[in-house]
Amino acid sequence: MITEFGNLFLSVALSLSLCSTILLFFKDSVDTNIRHNICLKFTKFSFLLIFLSFGLLAYAFLIDDFSLRYVANNSNLTLEKVYKFSAVWGAHEGSILLWVLVLSAWAALIGIYSTSLPKKFVTDMLSIMALLLTFFLLFILITSNPFDRIFPVPENGRDLNPLLQDPGLIIHPPLLYLGYVGTSVPFAFAVAVLINKSIKIEWISWLRKWVISSWMFLTVGISLGSWWAYHELGWGGWWFWDPVENASFMPWLAITALLHSLIVSEKRGIFISWSILLSILTFSLSLLGTFLVRSGILVSVHAFANDPERGLYILLFLTLIVGLSLILYFMNSSSLISKKSYQVSSKEFILLINNLFLTITTFAILLGTLYPLITSSLDLGKISVGAPYFNFIFSALMLPIVFLMAPAIYSSWKNTDYGRFKKLLSSLFFYSIIISYVFMNFIFESDIFVVYLAIFLAVFTILSSVVKLIQILLIRRDEGLFDKIISTPSTLFANSFSHVGIGVLIIGITISTYFSEQKEIIMKEGTSVVIRQVTVKFIGVEDKIASNYSSQVGIFDTFEDKSYKLSFFPEKRTYNIQKNVMTEAAISSNLLRDIYIALGDKFSDDSWVVRIYYKPFIQFIWYGALLMILGGIFGIFGKEKFPRKT
Amino acid sequence: MTSKKSILPIIFFVMILYFLFSGLGKDPTLIPSPLIGKKIPEFQSKTLLDDTSITEKDLLGNYILLNVWGSWCYACTLEHNNLIDIYETNRISIYGLNYKDDKDSAIKWLKQRGNPYKKNIIDNKGDIGIDFGVYGAPETFLINSKGVIIHKHVGPIDKNYFKNIILPLLKNE
Repeated sequence: MITEFGNLFLSVALSLSLCSTILLFFKDSVDTNIRHNICLKFTKFSFLLIFLSFGLLAYAFLIDDFSLRYVANNSNLTLEKVYKFSAVWGAHEGSILLWVLVLSAWAALIGIYSTSLPKKFVTDMLSIMALLLTFFLLFILITSNPFDRIFPVPENGRDLNPLLQDPGLIIHPPLLYLGYVGTSVPFAFAVAVLINKSIKIEWISWLRKWVISSWMFLTVGISLGSWWAYHELGWGGWWFWDPVENASFMPWLAITALLHSLIVSEKRGIFISWSILLSILTFSLSLLGTFLVRSGILVSVHAFANDPERGLYILLFLTLIVGLSLILYFMNSSSLISKKSYQVSSKEFILLINNLFLTITTFAILLGTLYPLITSSLDLGKISVGAPYFNFIFSALMLPIVFLMAPAIYSSWKNTDYGRFKKLLSSLFFYSIIISYVFMNFIFESDIFVVYLAIFLAVFTILSSVVKLIQILLIRRDEGLFDKIISTPSTLFANSFSHVGIGVLIIGITISTYFSEQKEIIMKEGTSVVIRQVTVKFIGVEDKIASNYSSQVGIFDTFEDKSYKLSFFPEKRTYNIQKNVMTEAAISSNLLRDIYIALGDKFSDDSWVVRIYYKPFIQFIWYGALLMILGGIFGIFGKEKFPRKT
Repeated sequence: MTSKKSILPIIFFVMILYFLFSGLGKDPTLIPSPLIGKKIPEFQSKTLLDDTSITEKDLLGNYILLNVWGSWCYACTLEHNNLIDIYETNRISIYGLNYKDDKDSAIKWLKQRGNPYKKNIIDNKGDIGIDFGVYGAPETFLINSKGVIIHKHVGPIDKNYFKNIILPLLKNE
């Protein structure tokens, strides 16, 4: 029954979406109210149906219904309940169903929360969202149906990929998809604008909130992913420039650019055509990422099974949808150009440079990611671009972007008062140099110029954002602090938090990259090793049996100044069904440092390969991400302007 | 004036598409095996069913296929009937490398599904697999009578694969 109902729900959702899409072609002949009514109802109902089919699949996992091929391939009787649930999106078919669920959720949300926009425009957007839904539902039903049966029904399933049996991986995909698929909202907006050849500034304020939401979810998803990699892969790394990481990072960069260009469009009525193009670009990069992950054309730790048929289907859709929207842009964008001019000293100009560099960075990463494809199709041999290319190009291009953050915060629209601006910035500049110099000389000694530069830029950004916020809070002396905080526009908090977040992130990356210590050694039981004043003693290894894996648990005691501090229990797990060996590193984190111990292979009877890392400030990476996420939340829910004084 | 500039994204997009389409269907893991044209690596192990010792020397003397498999591997179950088919129509000796597997479940698996293998080499830790440069199961090596690896295939093989790829190679030799 699960198969029948699952297929039925998805097919009905498909027909509803198809109808909403077709309505777009009758936009001039059908009354707008009727069209709006139909599209909105169909969108909500499609969401409900997809939600139900998703629920059915989850139910099939929970009751171990191995007559479904997808369940049989990705679950097992002994799998923990919570992982049975997260296994729903553990492989291709289910995760693409999650994709569709999230897409239909966004469609329903913009249908409901768009009363400030004209009905005609909202209806066009809903039809475009329905077009995307139509494609992905077809894709599921034709190539990737999670409700397909298997016969004979196996007694037990093949188990969920052990890599995915981790708490971080339960919420990482849904949150990432919320952001990833959320880029369809600006896309639908852009295409609707291009079809109608008109746009109003109020619509841009509406769009900005949705773009911030998508940006925030992408930030959450990406940082969770890196947090997971750090904990689970056992190499102490947190970012690998893997094609699939890049696939989520490129839309992030593009949507960050979009976020900034929309501010300019909203405040000054310029860059509108550019914002529209960026909206298309952002969603195209999301689609491209989906294609890269599902087609298996690049080698990646994340890639799903190599399936050219699925890849071809997504690629054809990508060609169609991106091609059409770019042609539409080519034909209709000239009506969106504003004749307003702006000064080199204005905020708009700085944000223009920000956009320029963010876009170049996006394309540099795109080039690196696709490089293996380019060389192989031009017969230049199999080459892959590794981390050195990305690290170099990314830091080089980020430098000007970060450097411009402080000037951007203090500049004004149209024309900046140069005298005041210069005075403030030069004192901030001066204090930042002193602070970073003191920091680098007394805490982390280094003579590497790049490290100084990065720390200086981070301090400069943090200091300017914080000072700006304090300035604003101090302006109105007559109110209490609490009242001031309440009455300050939350966009200012959004701005400050996310830029401070970037600064904190840069400090985390720089310090943990340049000042980490690591030891990869063979340790005999009972021996000790010293890493950065911490003595690590290897006590021994014990066996442990859990319901679906057996594991070897290393026992390590650490001492500082000869007194016992704490014990570490890194594990090497062998999962019963798929025989994969997984590393569970043991990590002790505090504000200033992580100690990270991973158990490697057994070398002889009583000695093991052990990896020990001492990573200062690495948690700053996720603190920074957290601040950016907070900034995003302020941006979504807060009010925009100071209340008018009565 | 503006429309001239706005054609740039289209041109750029077409370029990207060219590379994406050309990459489609090519297998990125198809790195030419460094072992092709070389002798098979030395190994020493036991056979799965009769528990006698086996080394690389036991594979010499005839053209053989060496098939890497495991009872844990879903693609191997799909491939298995093809192997039986290939064995029955072509009578080529097929050796199995039982890769990272549990001995009892491997034996049970063979009893259930039929056994096209002349002998199965036990490699429960995957050490022999490493020497052969195995990425994962299933994988198939074509080895000549002197023990030189002529061809390697990643993923399941079928009748057509044998007819179109392996037979011509055998004729060339």
